[in-house]
Amino acid sequence: MPRIIIDGLEIEVPQGTKVIDAAERLGIMIPRFCYLKSLGAVGACRMCAVTFLQGPFKGVQMSCMIDVQDGMSVSTTHEEAVAFRKQVIEWLMLNHPHDCPVCDEGGQCLLQDETVSGGHGIRRYRGKKRTYRNQYLGVFIAHEMNRCIHCYRCSRFYQEYCGYRDLGVLQMADRVYFGRFEDGQLESPFSGNLVDLCPTGVYTDIPARHKVRSWDLNRSPSLCIHCSLGCNTVANARHRTVWRVEGRFNEALGSEFICDRGRFGFGHTNHPIRPRRAKEGSSFVSLKDAMKSAAEKLRHIHATFGAQAIACLGSARNSLETQTTLRSFCEGLRLPEPHFFVNPHVKKKVCGAVARLDERVAVSLNQVAHADFVLAVGTDPLNEAPMLALAMRQAQRQGASLVVLDPRPSFLPAPHVHMGVAPEALNGVLGGLVRKAMEPGERENTALRSRGFLQSLPGEPFFRAFSDEQEKVDAVLSGLKKSRNPVLVCGTEVVRESTPSLCADLALLLKEVKGRCGLFYVLPGANAFGSALLSGSGESTFLDVIQSMERGFTKALVLVESDPFVHFPHQERLREAMKKLELLVVLDHLPSLPVQTSQVFLPTSTLFEVDSTFISQEGRVQWSRAVHEGGIPMEQWTGGTHPPRVHSTVIPGRDFRACGEILKEMARIVGGKGKVFLPDPWSFLERGPSAPEAPSRGNRPADGKRLIPRESSPELFPLQEGHFTLREETEHAFELLVVEAVFGTEELSAHSPAMEKWEWEPHMWMHEQDAFELGFSQDEVIGMDLDGGTLEVKLKVCPAMARGVLVLPRHHRLQWQKFSDFSMRVPHDCMRKS
Amino acid sequence: MAYADLLPGEMRRKLAQKIAESETAREQAIDVMTILQGHFGYMSDEAMLAASELLAMTPLELEELATFYNFIYRQPVGEHVIHVCDSAICWMHGHESLLDHLLSRLEIRLGETTEDGLFTVLPVCCLGYCDHAPAMLVDRRIHGELTREKIDRILTKLIEESHSLPGRK
Repeated sequence: MPRIIIDGLEIEVPQGTKVIDAAERLGIMIPRFCYLKSLGAVGACRMCAVTFLQGPFKGVQMSCMIDVQDGMSVSTTHEEAVAFRKQVIEWLMLNHPHDCPVCDEGGQCLLQDETVSGGHGIRRYRGKKRTYRNQYLGVFIAHEMNRCIHCYRCSRFYQEYCGYRDLGVLQMADRVYFGRFEDGQLESPFSGNLVDLCPTGVYTDIPARHKVRSWDLNRSPSLCIHCSLGCNTVANARHRTVWRVEGRFNEALGSEFICDRGRFGFGHTNHPIRPRRAKEGSSFVSLKDAMKSAAEKLRHIHATFGAQAIACLGSARNSLETQTTLRSFCEGLRLPEPHFFVNPHVKKKVCGAVARLDERVAVSLNQVAHADFVLAVGTDPLNEAPMLALAMRQAQRQGASLVVLDPRPSFLPAPHVHMGVAPEALNGVLGGLVRKAMEPGERENTALRSRGFLQSLPGEPFFRAFSDEQEKVDAVLSGLKKSRNPVLVCGTEVVRESTPSLCADLALLLKEVKGRCGLFYVLPGANAFGSALLSGSGESTFLDVIQSMERGFTKALVLVESDPFVHFPHQERLREAMKKLELLVVLDHLPSLPVQTSQVFLPTSTLFEVDSTFISQEGRVQWSRAVHEGGIPMEQWTGGTHPPRVHSTVIPGRDFRACGEILKEMARIVGGKGKVFLPDPWSFLERGPSAPEAPSRGNRPADGKRLIPRESSPELFPLQEGHFTLREETEHAFELLVVEAVFGTEELSAHSPAMEKWEWEPHMWMHEQDAFELGFSQDEVIGMDLDGGTLEVKLKVCPAMARGVLVLPRHHRLQWQKFSDFSMRVPHDCMRKS
Repeated sequence: MAYADLLPGEMRRKLAQKIAESETAREQAIDVMTILQGHFGYMSDEAMLAASELLAMTPLELEELATFYNFIYRQPVGEHVIHVCDSAICWMHGHESLLDHLLSRLEIRLGETTEDGLFTVLPVCCLGYCDHAPAMLVDRRIHGELTREKIDRILTKLIEESHSLPGRK
């Protein structure tokens, strides 16, 4: 590793490190505009000039363009470099407006910082400033081109890094303009990053625009909980309002970028209709009274009907604190184990995935971005976990081939091979591909046990469906054969129950053959991993609870930040079952359906109001700090006028507590003093002797801590029956897949006013040929007469997706829950044009 | 192909063939725009959209090219486009006073079109005719060693020619 001396300090850095990064490691921030580590160097702005004193380069050079080499000595304070940088900043400021006092970037503006650090103060140029017309860029980002200093970060990020093609560089010379062909919504769901990476105020965040100044904000390290990746963020709050969320760098995630769902999805915490007051029946009471009443009612049911009459449902949006406390709440009161999944299939898949993820194969998002072959199975990265799509794009930019086996149409913003494989054929196609891609030599060299597994993988029949796509299959095979560092990405929503564990088996097999192979699961929900860990070993599912409610055995239901109506396929049935309950206790911060019908409602805090822990899909435990106390946002409280001049010791709308604390308090009341022993919540996270030490307050690394065992399963390749079967061709029915979309489907962000402005109509995808055979066409409204009523939705047809499936994004305004069971079959003869 | 379908059939076929024959569609972007401009006189938004459909590029990607190159016009231009060389050697040879003369004779400012629609004057950097500076390009024809008299002669000739066309005063 080469060594370099910068300003008299010596440092050894990995080969290929730029001088500007080496300096940063020493705590020396060389001024820069165009350079951003994630985007790479272009040497366009000339701001990072330093003087090279010794070594292969001499004189003033750009520190972002030169790799550290042995024998280099650099001065960042040499008078030549200082004079150079002073001139650069002076000319960059020629056209910049003096609007800092009204600019939203003011106070966290790189241009302000570098102007000061460059020593430029007095304007010498007497000419007129160049001006531009701004464009409308949609509901998230405001455009103010006059402030631009032409660093090209935005267009490079937008086109090269993200692969979207509607924002770029126009004009030439001193008229260079960054914008679109015409006014309109930016197409990229990563556009919010322009706010963070623009060194000045060309792109600003609309929800926070003209509302706050950066120095007035409370800032705290937070997490994104709008998908399972757990991207790191910074939350910004003032006056009891969360205004803005920014990206935060995490080594394991590999970048400081986040998607727009994560950036603009926080509105649920400020929402005017957020239920903030405890309720008993239809009357408002204090939280204390409500807790007491809920506990007493629970105690009554406990005493009358026994502990078995009480059921608890958590969810994947619970923090780990909530989940562990709920588990110990149930254990302490000897209640049945809590449920965290409404859909038993999803529970099985997520638990299967979590059980199989171990140190041998688990990879981080950053490692996905450095793979040389990414095979995504049963997942739609852009819609389920948007930043995964960007990581896959980065892998592709470095030469990796990307393959997506998924029934849905594919929207991945990178060149890739997409095979529209129906859920029941995924195992077969995947297994067949891996088997075929093994060289004969490799087959023989694998260990005996693996060879048996390899031979049990299916051969030809699964490729029949792709006979006219032989080119694709060949491309996938040759990519897989060549690869030395493949990663398998596996979804858990549309796949069959056996797919996650098959992926784990294949990852282990590939690792044995190739020396390296990664496994990356995508889970449904921010804390789906925690949900699986805490689900316990019992076979019982939430479906059993519903049956038990229907038969009148279960008398009380406690919903802990969970809304079963979102995922349960038959709304009417659930509604009827819940009517039979004697007691419905709801703890939540979302205005969900059950909140309205609950006997007792207990308001809980959001992520922004309490320190929380979440486990990402990689098994990484991460921490988020509360950014404020919460309460009714000042703007709503005062109607947008001056903050009240009368002071009070009570925060309005602050009668909520962390979910876990409420549960603890209730356990204390239910059990009576001293009678209930609540097990240590963390004790549920112990995962065998080989697991790493569970984190504690004093042990919280900045990048999180991965909590997965070294080896998950003693058996290498456990084979299961029914892995590779195909659906009967004779069945004249579609399988409906209810799926995620980038915007408008995820529970929390669907309540964000900023997101609501991104209008899209609910729609359903069908294969072109299926539509043709049934006589349907694009944009027709299709009615489906189902057990629970009629479902009407607009049709979109696509030639590149699986046959025999309907893909329905779970639009939050669409009531799709009209199916008798989770298999969700739609017979052809119940469909018609309407 | 909502916009490409509005093109004359023969032209559309030729463009499609030209694109199909090249390795990547993108390499034909400038040629396609030049041909469309030759037909329509300038690249209207509709022409841009037609080109984007033919080339399978986004309108933005084409706009990046169109607004970079001097010889693709995104606004209507006059019958004769005069590109006046605007670089150092021409500046040394009286560029400024000649440009003043040209513009006052046409009664327009730089970048504008005369009221009768005959002339548009645009700056360009650089025509590469430095050994005959100062220079300008009129309808893709180069004129060097310009003087006021020479400019007058060129303009007079073009005006007379256009007046002699049928349907013109």
